[in-house]
Amino acid sequence: MNVLVLSGYGINCENETLHAFEVVGFKGKIIHINDLIQNPKQLNNYQVFAIPGGFSYGDDTGSGNAMAKKIMTNLYDQLIDFSLKDKLIIGICNGCQILINLGLVPSLNKKDPEVALIENKSGSYECRWVDVKVNNNKSPWLENISTLNLPVAHQEGQFMIPINLLKSIKANNLIGLQYIDHQKKLAKGQFPFNPNGSKDDIAALTNQNGKVLAMMPHPERAFYHYHIPNWQSKTLKKFGDGYKIFMNAKKFFA
Amino acid sequence: MTNTIQILSIEKTGKESSLQKEHNNKSIKIIDGYFFSRNLDDQKFTKISKLISNDVSQTILTKKNVNKVLSSYCNFNWVVEIKFLPGVTDNIATTVKEIIKDNLKSSFKSFELGSTKIILIKGRKEDITKISKNEANPLIQTIKIYPFKQYLNNFKKNQFKIEKVKLPKKKYSKKEINLDISDYNLSLIGKLGIEENDKSRRGTLGLDLESLKTIRNYFSTIKRKPTDVEIETLAQTWSEHCKHKIFSAKIDDIQEGIFKKYIKGATEKIIQLRKDNFCVSLFTDNAGGIEFNKDWIICHKVETHNTPSALDPFGGAITGIVGVNRDCLGFGKGAKPIANTYAYYLADPNKKYQLYRQKNKDPMLPANFIAKGIISGVRVGGNCSGIPTPQGNVYFDDRFAGKPLVFCGTVGIIPKKIKGKLSHKKKANPGDIILMAGGRVGKDGIHGATFSSEELDPNSPVSAVQIGDPITQKKMSDVIIRELRDENLYSSITDNGAGGLSSSIGEMAKESGGFIVNLEKVPLKYNGLYPWEIWVSESQERMTLAVPPANVKKVIKRFNARGVEATIIGKFIKKEKAIVKYNKTEILNLDMEFLHEGYPKLNLKTSLPKIKKEKKKIIKKNSLIVKLHKLLSSPNIVSKEFIATQYDHEVQATSIIKPLQGEGRVFGNATAIKPLFDDEKSIALSQAAYPQYAETNPYDMAGCSIDTAYKNLIVSGANSKKIAILDNFCWCSSDEPDRLYQLKEAAKACYDYAVAYQTPFISGKDSMFNDFKGFDKTGKSVKISIPPTLLISSIGVVDKISHLTKITPDDGDILLVLGNTRNELQDSVYSKIIGYEKSKNPVVNSKDALRTYRKFEKANKLGIINSAIGIDLGGLGIAVTKMAIAAKKGLTIDLKLKNKISVDQFLFSESQSRILVSMKKNKLANFRKIFKGSDYTIIGRCTASDVVEFKDNKKIMRGKISDFAKSYKQNIKGL
Repeated sequence: MNVLVLSGYGINCENETLHAFEVVGFKGKIIHINDLIQNPKQLNNYQVFAIPGGFSYGDDTGSGNAMAKKIMTNLYDQLIDFSLKDKLIIGICNGCQILINLGLVPSLNKKDPEVALIENKSGSYECRWVDVKVNNNKSPWLENISTLNLPVAHQEGQFMIPINLLKSIKANNLIGLQYIDHQKKLAKGQFPFNPNGSKDDIAALTNQNGKVLAMMPHPERAFYHYHIPNWQSKTLKKFGDGYKIFMNAKKFFA
Repeated sequence: MTNTIQILSIEKTGKESSLQKEHNNKSIKIIDGYFFSRNLDDQKFTKISKLISNDVSQTILTKKNVNKVLSSYCNFNWVVEIKFLPGVTDNIATTVKEIIKDNLKSSFKSFELGSTKIILIKGRKEDITKISKNEANPLIQTIKIYPFKQYLNNFKKNQFKIEKVKLPKKKYSKKEINLDISDYNLSLIGKLGIEENDKSRRGTLGLDLESLKTIRNYFSTIKRKPTDVEIETLAQTWSEHCKHKIFSAKIDDIQEGIFKKYIKGATEKIIQLRKDNFCVSLFTDNAGGIEFNKDWIICHKVETHNTPSALDPFGGAITGIVGVNRDCLGFGKGAKPIANTYAYYLADPNKKYQLYRQKNKDPMLPANFIAKGIISGVRVGGNCSGIPTPQGNVYFDDRFAGKPLVFCGTVGIIPKKIKGKLSHKKKANPGDIILMAGGRVGKDGIHGATFSSEELDPNSPVSAVQIGDPITQKKMSDVIIRELRDENLYSSITDNGAGGLSSSIGEMAKESGGFIVNLEKVPLKYNGLYPWEIWVSESQERMTLAVPPANVKKVIKRFNARGVEATIIGKFIKKEKAIVKYNKTEILNLDMEFLHEGYPKLNLKTSLPKIKKEKKKIIKKNSLIVKLHKLLSSPNIVSKEFIATQYDHEVQATSIIKPLQGEGRVFGNATAIKPLFDDEKSIALSQAAYPQYAETNPYDMAGCSIDTAYKNLIVSGANSKKIAILDNFCWCSSDEPDRLYQLKEAAKACYDYAVAYQTPFISGKDSMFNDFKGFDKTGKSVKISIPPTLLISSIGVVDKISHLTKITPDDGDILLVLGNTRNELQDSVYSKIIGYEKSKNPVVNSKDALRTYRKFEKANKLGIINSAIGIDLGGLGIAVTKMAIAAKKGLTIDLKLKNKISVDQFLFSESQSRILVSMKKNKLANFRKIFKGSDYTIIGRCTASDVVEFKDNKKIMRGKISDFAKSYKQNIKGL
């Protein structure tokens, strides 16, 4: 089980993302986008492709856009190929924005981005913890998960989806995660439970076979128990909720 | 005006929400624009538009659709167009260029490109002027306001132009400066800069007459005239910013100066007493280093960026934070930045100060613009760099109206040994190549070092502003830390900050002997820079490396493979000479000794200042609960949550004690990160300054700062033997004897308390002239000086996760105050908001304090303490309510008054060295054993109710926690 964690041009969560995969049993490597472009064949050595969070190209021209265009120009076919095999892809935060800009998620019409991530309704960067739930999604990344407590940290995390597309996203169960309130009910756009005003409280989307997951919250930052806010007042466990996502990747290949 | 085109993309929703909120106008729209120096055919226009915009969320404006698209929002009537001034770094343009080049490859030839921000509005002319003032800074941007129709016509006709940096027409020829001139003319060179052939002046050198005479003497001994580059270099190297002349000067009878005697002196004394390996690298490097565990060193550095932030708040603050990140990269062989800290001392954002740098013109930026710009600058710098920013604070006082104080700090981590060699030791060897890596050099920031050492006045240069580009730096930083350092490919490294190459190379050459630099090799952002400009430019995002010749190719290749430029610009030599050439002409040749030590030493005298007594104010007849609400909602106590949530403090997955604490999210005094996955040790961080106490007693002010910064770490669970501190002095009018007296007193306290607490100073910085000289709105001349401000930053190691404390008590917990409460209300928040009669300023008794701290530490390790919070601004009353807000639990307080103090004195006195703690009832017996013979008072307990109640003999006063939380979380007006 090998994971390729992408880096370069302002991606900045690669260390902790790789660490999370390693703890659950993956072998992995951080690979710079330029090295991957030089030698795309190395993708064959990996079962998971992870695009971590960060600020690729400083969010210039829109978060995730510039890196997505770089991948589109240089690696698009290889990545499509990867997504069609029995392999997994995850994009977290900036990685999510990149996958969305690439059109790999939700990928209903297979070409061009169909969804956009726009500025949070609050107009500001939001670094805070949220609760999300899994709703009827069959993605291997989300199997046997009901709710998760994870941090978000983004300025552009509001999913913008044309109405017709939203219908088919729902019909196909492609909503991965949704923000919920303290009563575990959908946040209904209410801040701060829904930190960005996302339509239908969407926090993550998947592609049709569920193997590509684009999520705004950061599971790698909720990996250990001590990551959780006010962990001292809670029952001591070893791991936080983010662990479940990485474990699911392991189970998929086990 | 021909052969240009612009692409405008408009966001369908979003992006302008904060603008709309701020100006209470729903009819505002923002457009991202890009303009090209070449014409584009339709096919290319479409292709490029697709590359730089998003089909789903944006619409590209064309001549055909523009009317329809824009009128679908509303009938706009004004347009603001904001562009960068020529020569100012345009990060977005760089990215766009890269995307286009990558995608179109060779099919698209070279082109110039700029980004622009366009704001459309339906409103009055006044509204648009106001918005334009808030959204742009005339120092770095051009702002043009058009009637909507006119703009539309221009757009349709493609009428706009790209401005370029004006290039000097003549070629550079070596310029010699005659210093055999009158004292008056000599001093003009110092104040206004070197005279150009057209009689214009280059801008202040910050050299006084005595320094210029010293330079004249040196050159008369070596029998030649100095070149302009030599004078510029000496000005940089000798600037107060670089040499800290005041701290090293003889002052009264202190021959060695206050730095050697009090700051370094304290650390040396502590090292002598401690006899351990805690202190690794002090004062000599870009940051100070201490031992983290057996394999790792951590370093910490805090810088100020005050003057740049006054002129361009966003730019000043972002370069402040990414600049101090580079100090970390330049620690030893290169430490990885793992946390940022910040502290802002600002004027009231809700007030209009209306200050002018020149009579009736050149206004200072509004206080709220400065505050917002600074907060955003550090946000963008920190977040984009992937470095968590957990720790900080903000303080407001009118006296920061002339100059804000912006402290930016960074913590770094580095293995103790790299390939068997100590990582904190570095040495540029003779023969090593001088390599400049990272960004290119432009006109930005020229004369930054010399002018930040001076007061802000009409001659302050505008080109002294830099713009940060965190992504360029992040790319460079990744190569250094991940791909070069651990292979020992270079022998030394330092950052390019104040003074640019002249300073970085000058400093590194001390390790080898001297240097030869070929300035024409330095890559430039645009042509037309004079050699002296290249040499002193403060363009950001650059590191200078000393690379053994055998490794140079490899190092350059690795940088280039990651999209980072690296260029050979000279070599280090053994001979103690500083030599700079430009196209083979030697333009600088100085003895290293003269360059670094030749400056005239100051001889300073101090005198006791008159202390202005605080005016007796009538205490407002409010109930205790109302007073608590007033204090909680006052700007210096109110929650700074809105900053904590916009600064990413979770990146790197190290956050273990977060800035917002408890379910009720109280803004904490200290935070902690756990930097290594395989070691449970954490790093606790805090900071403190008490400018409000400075005028009354600068010695006690410094004592309070050290005590608070230290206490906060003890309270968080740090090991008292593993705490180090940093000093950042921001002073005013440091040429006046009474200000120097205050400085000396504060420094003396630094020695006394650091030695008492055994906390070495590991790094520090000073900024001595934080004064504003200008005019008020009536044209009357005014001088506004900051109150002397000493920021003490503390960094400590927490040995075990179980030692980390929380601030939230549980039901049934007993509440205690550790330490002694005295009538010390002078200069307190209470005295400012409510009023005071007769009181004293807080004084730290280090013996008592240490007794409390040691016992607390012991009790905490034994698991006796359930929760704890340091008591500071607003006193015990505020600490109690904060605890209740954080825990969302009721507290009952018995007002047991000792030492004849009143209820208000007991609750609001800012007596130092006190901790509010809670513990389970059954731990009390053990606690009493440990605290035998110390001051502590049981003051109440935690209940399951929703109120905080205070009982005295006569009555009970109650306040609802949710109401307190409301006051505490009020928005700061103007922000």
